[in-house]
Amino acid sequence: MNEMTQAARFVGQRVPRKEDRRLLTGNGAYTDDITVPGMLHAAFVRSYIARGTIKSINTDAAKALPGVHAVYVADDLRTLDIKFLQLYSSPTAPAPAMWPLADGRIAHVGEPVVIVLADSRALAEDGAALVEVDYESEEPVVTLEQARALTKAIHPDLGVKPADTMIVPSDDAMAETFAKAAHVVTGTIRHQRQAHSPMETRGVVAQPKGTGELTVWVSCQSPHMAARYLSEAFNLPAHSIRVIAKDVGGAFGLKVQLWREEVAAVAAALIANRPVKWIEDRLENLTSANQAREQEVTVKLALDADAKLLAADLEYHSNIGAFPHGIGANALGMMMFPGPYRLPRLSVNANAYFSNTCGEAAFRGPWMVESLARETMLDVAARQIGIDPLEIRRRNLITREEQPFTTCMGTVLNWVTPRETLELAVEKIDVAAFRAEQAKARTEGRYLGLGFATYVEPTTMNMGGVLSSEWAQVQVEPTGKVTAVISTHSQGHGTETTMAQVIADELGVPFNDVSVFEDDSSRGSFGAGAGGSRQAVAGGGAAIHAIAILKAKIKAIAAHLLNASADAVEIESGMIRVKGVEEMTTSLASLAATAYFETPRLPPGMEAGLTAQYRYSPPPFVFSNATHACVCEVDRDTGVVKILRWVASEDCGVMINPSVVEGQIAGGVTQGVGGVLMEQIRYDADGNPTAATFKDYLVPGIFDMPEIEYCHMITPADNPGGFKGIGEGGAIIGPPTIINAVADALSPFGVRTLDLPLSPPRLLALMDGAEAK
Amino acid sequence: MKAAPFDYVAPDSIEAAVDHLARGGGESVVLAGGQTLMPLLALRMATPSVVVDINRIAELSGVSRLDGATRVGATTRQATILTDPTIAAHAPTLAQAVRNVGHHQTRNRGTVGGSVSLGEPAAELPATALALEAMIETRSPRGTRRIAAGDFYTGPYSTVLEPDELVVALHYPDLPANTLTLVHEVARRPGDFALTGFIGAFTVDGGAISRARISWLAMGPTPMRSPKAEAALVGQRVGQIDLDEIGRLAASETDPMDDGHASADYRRTAGARIFRRAVGQALETR
Repeated sequence: MNEMTQAARFVGQRVPRKEDRRLLTGNGAYTDDITVPGMLHAAFVRSYIARGTIKSINTDAAKALPGVHAVYVADDLRTLDIKFLQLYSSPTAPAPAMWPLADGRIAHVGEPVVIVLADSRALAEDGAALVEVDYESEEPVVTLEQARALTKAIHPDLGVKPADTMIVPSDDAMAETFAKAAHVVTGTIRHQRQAHSPMETRGVVAQPKGTGELTVWVSCQSPHMAARYLSEAFNLPAHSIRVIAKDVGGAFGLKVQLWREEVAAVAAALIANRPVKWIEDRLENLTSANQAREQEVTVKLALDADAKLLAADLEYHSNIGAFPHGIGANALGMMMFPGPYRLPRLSVNANAYFSNTCGEAAFRGPWMVESLARETMLDVAARQIGIDPLEIRRRNLITREEQPFTTCMGTVLNWVTPRETLELAVEKIDVAAFRAEQAKARTEGRYLGLGFATYVEPTTMNMGGVLSSEWAQVQVEPTGKVTAVISTHSQGHGTETTMAQVIADELGVPFNDVSVFEDDSSRGSFGAGAGGSRQAVAGGGAAIHAIAILKAKIKAIAAHLLNASADAVEIESGMIRVKGVEEMTTSLASLAATAYFETPRLPPGMEAGLTAQYRYSPPPFVFSNATHACVCEVDRDTGVVKILRWVASEDCGVMINPSVVEGQIAGGVTQGVGGVLMEQIRYDADGNPTAATFKDYLVPGIFDMPEIEYCHMITPADNPGGFKGIGEGGAIIGPPTIINAVADALSPFGVRTLDLPLSPPRLLALMDGAEAK
Repeated sequence: MKAAPFDYVAPDSIEAAVDHLARGGGESVVLAGGQTLMPLLALRMATPSVVVDINRIAELSGVSRLDGATRVGATTRQATILTDPTIAAHAPTLAQAVRNVGHHQTRNRGTVGGSVSLGEPAAELPATALALEAMIETRSPRGTRRIAAGDFYTGPYSTVLEPDELVVALHYPDLPANTLTLVHEVARRPGDFALTGFIGAFTVDGGAISRARISWLAMGPTPMRSPKAEAALVGQRVGQIDLDEIGRLAASETDPMDDGHASADYRRTAGARIFRRAVGQALETR
């Protein structure tokens, strides 16, 4: 299965994306593009206190406003049996009781308290403004430090304790390793809270139909997952719920599962028996949606005299807010800490804490914090030991020859090229020339820096549960054209194109003859869709398997019709040939017509039609890897960081479409750089979010990144097609790369570790403080 | 969010616009390019009863010469400033400043009068009006008046404009010969509101500075002038100026605030340093 059975004609090519014409001409179908007859618009009254209780709610004035149809509080939804599911919670972590609307207690600013349905969103907001809520406020738990103090229960039902704890214990051997190590290096890395800020915010249109049937358009990462979620949340049969999500403008983990507002809008539609639309606005998105990354890791490394890693100890703390999508202390992230390095021993003490802030959600590259901690601390270690940061990597990175390599956490690495991508990046940068330029610049009072960082990512993770499999159906239509339904889903990933490239090559048909559908839960079969960089491997794998079945059938029919051996039949460019007998060439369309409409001519007993499907269960991990390098300048007068060069040297195996691969890397790197330099969700002491618009929440734009220089290595893994995931890598490795570059620039100032974000005031203060000493 | 209900009028004359403002009695708001007002309406941070759209008043738009000054109509788009030949010939500093105002798209809508009359302390055009000693021409039921930019601002988003008074045009007087103008700022991203920044106009006669104007953005509740630093510069010979000292003096005359993006200390420190660097480079390269 590993080899492409056809010469690759489309895989590996920069095929223009099928979806771009509709997206670039304003003809996409995002959730807010959906209008259905009789639709009402929802707006929420949200809590302006961070912690406390609701004493009373008066909705009379809102209900009396012309144009307002319904105003529901928590109790009004009790006619429905609604259950909240945390699909990705740690099995050891108990979940707080949840209800779509605040049910007596308030746990963060922005909690939805009342839903107002009206003829327009403006009228719904007019109505919401007339609702009076009387709160009794309590002092909130806001910061990670406050949350760690464990003085107050955020959720009374869960008591006062960490939300989750994960421990990989230390032992005597570990203690001895640290005691005898030539070098012990410690440091703490802090990442501020970041918002996903997708271009398309969350949104839903729910249309009840008949008795208990429901069509839901929702901005999500998989229509199948959304349908399953709703069927379980509302205790409705899965077949009665149809979820449609044609185009989604970014998700990044925020839309992995539906949350309170989407569920409240669906509940309101069911109770009102009217279609309801809710489109999250940017203010809601930045102040009420789930967020990510408020994390702190203290790393202790033991190294021998040759700077070889002996052991690492991690202490991890994370503020996961009031209602996280999944409750956990990042166990898998911690276990990925060894990354692509020979690290014999690891101990971990990881803790997650609830607080009176927006809940945590997965965010592109959930392993990001371990790579951030490891890669920045390797640079700290190199400086402490007195060797080049490249040298410490060269001495510890595993090579191709050592694979398969089992890490101290039991993960098996194979088909990865961390060392090789590092050398490629080094060559591209021309390190010697840079160091000369850097030295000259310093004499002029200019501070240039160069940073490298390397990672492996376990893509397409299959640890059971909803991520176990993906499904594909490939069908040759009576016209000879090919339609495929795949349980992948696009938030802009280009899967409509990349899957068509795979199918065109595997089946032997023109790319333009292939149409891919992934937008409708009523079409096709369950799959988790986007998440964990899995679509090329899992969706592509399912398609390749289905095509193998379909091709065998096509060949059997052709052999029967043409009186040839099935082994001699070839399919190429939509034509069917018999090897060596050119005059027997016929079209796939003609064979399809027979399969559908002249069934007596088919081999005896064969199923009519030309359809095949396959549910593919990928291996536990398919590792991709990369080394990134960044050259930056820190302005001595202002602390402003300017990125001058960015090299991405990566290996995602067989690239289906290099432009899509590079687009994923560029987006991820930019998001990661945003998290390091600009993006910061801030709360004041009362728990009010203070970065409520894009004036205050700074997302990097096109001018903030240089053109990325790409180096591609192609080391196929042993899965069908040899693909590896690439969707998150840029976001994982972008942050440590830029941090290491800034730290290198500031090395004359004796800077060790850097807290995020690296804002101009913080960097200027570091430089001024160092010079004042 | 969606705007709260309001009445909308789009008069086609200044008189009619002023009349609407007068009848609005402080509950009316002027819509020019909408780059600030529309988000404020959508966020319901502004809830006027009447929005008076002045975009259809032809005489409010355009650039002309009048009495040794360049007159810029209030609804002249910021994008126009970048291409207008009269601006290029007589008020190029305005174009320098506009390059830092927002982005290509926002400059196609945003107006000069809108930005000047809003009085965002971190915006470029109010500080430019101050440095260039622009006169602000207004109309109200009581007639026309001209207000010096230095008398115009009273606080953040706050000016001496009466509720029924409309900014009609800006008059930018010609600068003396041999005047060097500088626009420099520190912003997190191109087009963002500045963390600190200044507009400088320095006239050099016979190797010495004969006239200096310095105004700051994002360094106080309003755009701020630095009169002591201006006075200290006059008479100094180019190449012998202690720009460290002048920069610190100039920044010390400001009154910046802490916010989520930067502290007052940062603004003063970085402001003084970009002043030193930019003025130093500009005077050296003359």
